[in-house]
Amino acid sequence: MPDSNTSQPIMRVEALTKKFGPFTALNGIDFEVHAGEVHALLGDNGAGKSTLIKILSGVHKPTSGRILIDGREAEFDSPRDASRAGIGTVYQDLALNPLMSVTRNFFMGREISRGPKPFSWLAMDEMARITHDEMVKIGIDISDPSQAVGTMSGGQRQTLAIARAIHFGARVLILDEPTSALGQKQQMEVLKTIQRVRLRGDIAIIFITHNEVHAKLVADRFTFLALGEVIGRGTRADLEGEDIRHLMAGGANISDLQKQLEAVRLSGRAAS
Amino acid sequence: MSQMNPAASGRREADRFNKGGRLRVLLRRPEVGAFFVMVVVIVAIAIASNGVALNPLGLKNNLSIIAQFGIIATGACLLMIAGEFDLSIGSMIGFAGMSMAMMLKWGLPFGLGPATPVTAFFLTLAMTLAIGWLIGFTVVRSGLSSFIVTLAFLFFLRGLTEVCFRLINQSTQISGLPDYKQESWFAWIFGGESFGWLYDLWFALGGNLNRAGEQWVTGLDAKVVWWLLIAGAAAVLMARTQAGNWIYATGDNRESARANGVPVDKVRISLFMLTAFCSTVFAACQVFDTNTADAAKGNLKELEAIAIAVVGGTLMTGGFGTVLGVVFGAVTFGLVANAVFFIPAIDGSYYRVFVGVVLLIAVFLNEGVRKRITGGI
Ligand SMILES: Nc1ncnc2c1ncn2[C@@H]1O[C@H](COP(=O)(O)OP(=O)(O)OP(=O)(O)O)[C@@H](O)[C@H]1O
Ligand SMILES: [Mg+2]
Repeated sequence: MPDSNTSQPIMRVEALTKKFGPFTALNGIDFEVHAGEVHALLGDNGAGKSTLIKILSGVHKPTSGRILIDGREAEFDSPRDASRAGIGTVYQDLALNPLMSVTRNFFMGREISRGPKPFSWLAMDEMARITHDEMVKIGIDISDPSQAVGTMSGGQRQTLAIARAIHFGARVLILDEPTSALGQKQQMEVLKTIQRVRLRGDIAIIFITHNEVHAKLVADRFTFLALGEVIGRGTRADLEGEDIRHLMAGGANISDLQKQLEAVRLSGRAAS
Repeated sequence: MSQMNPAASGRREADRFNKGGRLRVLLRRPEVGAFFVMVVVIVAIAIASNGVALNPLGLKNNLSIIAQFGIIATGACLLMIAGEFDLSIGSMIGFAGMSMAMMLKWGLPFGLGPATPVTAFFLTLAMTLAIGWLIGFTVVRSGLSSFIVTLAFLFFLRGLTEVCFRLINQSTQISGLPDYKQESWFAWIFGGESFGWLYDLWFALGGNLNRAGEQWVTGLDAKVVWWLLIAGAAAVLMARTQAGNWIYATGDNRESARANGVPVDKVRISLFMLTAFCSTVFAACQVFDTNTADAAKGNLKELEAIAIAVVGGTLMTGGFGTVLGVVFGAVTFGLVANAVFFIPAIDGSYYRVFVGVVLLIAVFLNEGVRKRITGGI
């Protein structure tokens, strides 16, 4: 593992706040990611994880606070700006088009083409070859690059989205719940993919998940969000013996939860 | 455990995919359904009309209406692939025809003097493109369904056409304009003839004779060339260019296309301008061919254009479709619309019965094709 405490973070977020009208989705978030590290971003439903990464990937603009890339302040007006700055996002819904082929999806919006735009000629063969090679590099050998993405398995789709982000120069790779909605075996495929990307050493990965086991398996650093604020953070070593599940549930005690569940069960029985 | 290791058995992912022979690949294409329907219709009409539908004059008349359908259906198809509808096509045709004919009869607006075919066409085109832009802009900005926005323009443009006619021309028709295509090459490329060499060749080979033994038909309508140009350009655009990829991406999943940097709003606005362009070409061919205009021109054409696009394999929900399928659909619809002239036993009502039946069959076929290609999503 690279010595990340002394190296400069690729990306750093300071006092980030986001308000949707009267609603404060994020309140003063500090956060940093280092090359070759997996940073797990954990928190309950509605904690603000997706909002945070939408700001990092240029979909939303922060209400206040700043984003630093390689120590320099960056401002994103569009997802395009963010991707130019090296931030590659794999959304919860993957941003794939099911009716289009693997190749057309891989290069969607960034096609290789010759001639005056936008009527430029697509280099389909070259794009198909690159797509195939990039997918093989992180572990999937697709049989037919003209296959529609809708026919791929969930794990293959994740891999496609990740390969695409890396190919287009992502130095910070953001994965929003990449293992949710997948079968056991495909979850492992995705974790292996994450591990392969991590071993390259030049890419920082932000990994959002609700799965404590997955986070422990691959993450080097953890940040816990609850109600739009950071309620805990640390490296894998720091958190040894800490109750990760407690922090993931937004600070609620598991024993409290058990009591609450018991109360619901009893009231249900009383009503019937 | 090791016995079950798939890697050890030497099987690769690529081995799981059976591409099949050349025929299987052809049968997987989305325009297969439209192609077979077209072949059946051609054969049926050729037989029922005793070959009259395919003689020199029959071919010319059929291709004239096929070209008209093809021109507007191509625009409608591309727009549908991008996930939008345009119900204003028919009214736009009426508006553009009115605009050109009125300029030719009454002179350019603002006292700019008499109009020529060139100025009348380009001034009209500027207006229709501006309206197309406005429709697109309204759809993109408001987030309203294009169905409702263009429905509003269907009424608005038709009404505007009638009002302008009555205010300036007193009557809602213009007829007896000079035959511009005789002197103006520009009017000729819309209203004149094309493929004269084909008919000359036909004559030279001993066919194409009238009763006196002279050459009978001299050529096809010029609009056939417009149709081939527009369809050809659209087919190449969709299959081979960056813009084509953007159009597919916009219709398939707009948000993911946007997230990947596809300019989805520009794509949609441009395509509303494309349907306006196709409507204007349609109207110009009509005006310069017949030297007339009528406020009712183009009525219901938007629905026929959509029906042809659907029969050609375009998905109502966007993201999928081919221009070649629309070519087949236009041939089918044109032949059947014209069948009343060649088959004495039927009238126009049969055409509408046919359209209803074919539309339903096509939608079911398309759904099947889509499921096969996409694995049922
Ligand atoms: N565009 C928006 N307008 C108003 N409120 C929003 C908007 N986007 C998110 N929110 C609110 O911000 C809060 C945080 O949402 P967010 O999607 O970031 O949660 P999350 O941590 O990703 O949850 P999950 O684990 O369920 O994905 C939620 O209460 C949500 O309702
Ligand atoms: Mg989320």
